[in-house]
Amino acid sequence: MDRDGVEIYYEVHGDAAPTLLLIPPAPITHSQIFKAQVPHLARHFRVVTFDARGNGKSGRSTDKYLHSRAANVKDAVAVMDATSTERAVLVAHCHANWWAIELIDSHPDRVVGWVAIDPGVPYLGKPQPHWVDTAQTFDQILDNPQGWELFNRHVITNDHRRWVEFFFGSQLVEPHSTKQLEDAVGWALESTGEVLVAGEEGADLDPPSRAEFEAMVRAVEVPVLVIHGTEDVCQAVEKGVALASATNGDLLVIEGAGHLTLARDPVRVNRAITGFVNGIEGENMRRHTWTRGLDRQPKALYVSSPIGLGHARRDIAVAKELQKLRPDLHIDWLAQDPVTRVLDAEGESIHPASEFLASESAHFVEKTTEHDLHAFQALREMDEILVANFMVFQEVVEEGLYDLIIADEAWEIDHFWHENPELKRGSHVWFTDFVGYLPMPSGGEREAYVAADYNAEMIEHIARFPRVRDQALFVGTPDDIVPESFGMDLPKIKDWTREHFGFPGYITGFVPPDPADFGGIREELGFADGEHVVVVTVGGSGVGRALLEKIISAYPLAKSELPDLRMIVVAGPRIDPDSLPEYPGLEIRGYVPQLYRHLSVCDLAVVQGGLTTCMELTAARRPFLYFPLRNHFEQNYHVRHRLDRYGAGKYMDYVENDAESIAGSIVTEVGRDVDYAPVETQGAARAAQMVAHLI
Amino acid sequence: MRATHPHTESSVTRDGLRLGYEVFGDGETTVLLLPTWTIIHSRFWKFQVPYLSRHFRVITYDGPGNGRSDRSTDPERYSADSYAEDAVAVLDACQVERVVAVGLSLGAAYGLTLATHHPERVAGLVLMGPALPLTPPTPERAAIARTYLEPYPPDVQGWGKYNVAYWRDHFEDFAEFFFNQCFNEPHSTKPVEDSVGWALEGGGADVLEAEGRARPASRAAAEEMLAGLGCPLLVIHGTEDLIHPHSTGVEAARLGQGSLLSMGGSGHLPNVRDPVAVNLALKAFVDEVAS
Repeated sequence: MDRDGVEIYYEVHGDAAPTLLLIPPAPITHSQIFKAQVPHLARHFRVVTFDARGNGKSGRSTDKYLHSRAANVKDAVAVMDATSTERAVLVAHCHANWWAIELIDSHPDRVVGWVAIDPGVPYLGKPQPHWVDTAQTFDQILDNPQGWELFNRHVITNDHRRWVEFFFGSQLVEPHSTKQLEDAVGWALESTGEVLVAGEEGADLDPPSRAEFEAMVRAVEVPVLVIHGTEDVCQAVEKGVALASATNGDLLVIEGAGHLTLARDPVRVNRAITGFVNGIEGENMRRHTWTRGLDRQPKALYVSSPIGLGHARRDIAVAKELQKLRPDLHIDWLAQDPVTRVLDAEGESIHPASEFLASESAHFVEKTTEHDLHAFQALREMDEILVANFMVFQEVVEEGLYDLIIADEAWEIDHFWHENPELKRGSHVWFTDFVGYLPMPSGGEREAYVAADYNAEMIEHIARFPRVRDQALFVGTPDDIVPESFGMDLPKIKDWTREHFGFPGYITGFVPPDPADFGGIREELGFADGEHVVVVTVGGSGVGRALLEKIISAYPLAKSELPDLRMIVVAGPRIDPDSLPEYPGLEIRGYVPQLYRHLSVCDLAVVQGGLTTCMELTAARRPFLYFPLRNHFEQNYHVRHRLDRYGAGKYMDYVENDAESIAGSIVTEVGRDVDYAPVETQGAARAAQMVAHLI
Repeated sequence: MRATHPHTESSVTRDGLRLGYEVFGDGETTVLLLPTWTIIHSRFWKFQVPYLSRHFRVITYDGPGNGRSDRSTDPERYSADSYAEDAVAVLDACQVERVVAVGLSLGAAYGLTLATHHPERVAGLVLMGPALPLTPPTPERAAIARTYLEPYPPDVQGWGKYNVAYWRDHFEDFAEFFFNQCFNEPHSTKPVEDSVGWALEGGGADVLEAEGRARPASRAAAEEMLAGLGCPLLVIHGTEDLIHPHSTGVEAARLGQGSLLSMGGSGHLPNVRDPVAVNLALKAFVDEVAS
């Protein structure tokens, strides 16, 4: 939208009344500051976001007169007009609340409510002293400015990054805020220092007198909710308290929170906004059922990690064992594609709210380049999806009266229940097959620091709230835990995990065939006598193409050395078989039903480094080559450590191996007798026994 | 021992009949817990009073025929219209202008009448297991209307005991039968004992006979009152209620454009048998009305 020559970018999400207009404090940031709110709010309301002038996808100007409050208010009204929004609840952060109040003053009939988050408004409460001090030095050329002196025209113009890093570093007072800091600094740097200075000057143009401003506040008639952190270094909490009392509004003070409550305590903030807006709307005819405790059928909600299919198989095995112990137990699954395909095939009950989940699997696919997935960074960048999905989950458990929540690497549940322990509903069982984020060398010192910080937060969560996890199960034995530390000054992963987890042993989704049945199965699958069958598979996502092409390039060399070689390449549902190179005798298939049976009787498998497939091959005692995705800490450290313990598989580096060396490994390994340590059986039954007492 | 004691314990006389009331707490908002069928008295709110009175001012009183109120055998004193005037007399005596009124079973009919005749006195209304003729009664309950003034057969069983002559001869046995129907949830021995005890304190068969002669509202009148309701409404109804079917509550909420809390597995007195869930729902509703 063009408004008087400045481009204003906006988005509309959701469609349920009323409309919420989210107003970001530009130009220091843009609409992404609300990224943890939008998916949740849009499931309940119509949400309009926009980038205020000076940042994001909106126009930039270095003319302070184009950054006046009046201009910003006109932008907000123009966005409402452009989206046919007659009336809206305003949700604003920091100094955008000054715009909000002027919008209410000038267009009282367009606003039905106001959520003021960490409000930056004049006169009320007291300004932070550093703002008063630096107002004096803002225009001076300072010799060696430090700390808040960086709030200075020349510093901001010449060394924009230094100022925004200092500013947001000061605001994020909460420990473990690395991701929020990177986000905030990144958004700020999408604009420039000159624009930011113009924005600061424009904000102060034509200020109202104290009496004028106080009269404007008193005149606010719409319902108001103020949310403010007690440790806010930008806008002192007294401002929020004073604003709530002057407007007769609701007040939520978040103890210990800094200036970015919406990013750092998103669950609490989201629930406060939803509750407030529902109150304004005065819903009619709400329908609610509460069931007497003893009349409730025992119910479990199973949340299976959607990244890959490995978890689905073991989770179904555990669910079936649990139902053997408790035949009256009903299990719902909160799951997403591709896990839902496996669940559907098994006739499991998928909770209808599953359709609201944002796709974690698609996020990981998007983060994968040529056989390279920086899994830890991908997980960090999934923060917004995790908040959105947690909010869905929380509504499901509050409505569903579940006795037991089983979270198999469902990170959002474990994390946000520790961050918001009062929200816990039902017993919580946590499953994982690895403990500890381990930095990849390519991430350098920064990643070592950040991974340790994530580990430290998890350790602190569990130390402070041991009641959140009723049972934590490590899928494997203590010997499967990597001999590493959680990071500098942190415990050894093995010691800590032994203390905090139970160990049901490995849980296989399938029972490997009896060696006596091998011949029969091979015949059934059409494997001829004397044939050396190599099965190449890269899982169900589209990320395996590069590896498939590389293995295929080794086929002619291997075939020339081993004439009875037969190679079956499984492209999977997301890779078009016709798009792969062809050779005479090479079989490329899109989808192979009962792939695990092929794998369990083949002469050699070539796979990625995912735990489930590698362990299926280990349990079936087949030789295999595995290529961990580059920069994937779990595949390169945790899985490899476990396979080494079983003496299973041949580790292959994707970069260092070419067609020739891969062909050589195929020829050496194919049909080899293996001496793997035996894989535990009955893991699912043991796991079920370890959690059944919670139902 | 009572969990909390009234700060005011008094009575008001309306048209020659004394009504005993109690006042607890001193919050800004007042909750009026109405009497129900006079077979029991105001102690059936014993699980609500201590909690609600920590947040609100709470008034309870006994209707004619039980508790600290006079036993009347005049059917006129037992009409819903008369109950509504009793409630106004109590509020006047307490100098309370507006209340959130909460009624259970017949008390719901009294509350609805109060809100209709005196809308200025009622800021919000809660109907629990309402005794309103909005949906057909069960066949056993329908049969009562035909037989309850007749002589009862010697081998009378079940709802046949809902009979004035039987009450005169076997009042306690009837009370035991009736409250076992009210508390059909398993493990309800204590609520049954309490209720039978309160029944034995009341005016017995004479009072209940008089009450039975008061004309109940017609279906059309009940529908009209609900449709004309000018205040927020919450309906709470047990799905297993054997006295007034759950469908009645659903219909009441629909007609009155109110919220509905269905109590899965609950019988006729969820406030006694599932007090925590009911207390929380009442508090949330009163808070919403007050804001």
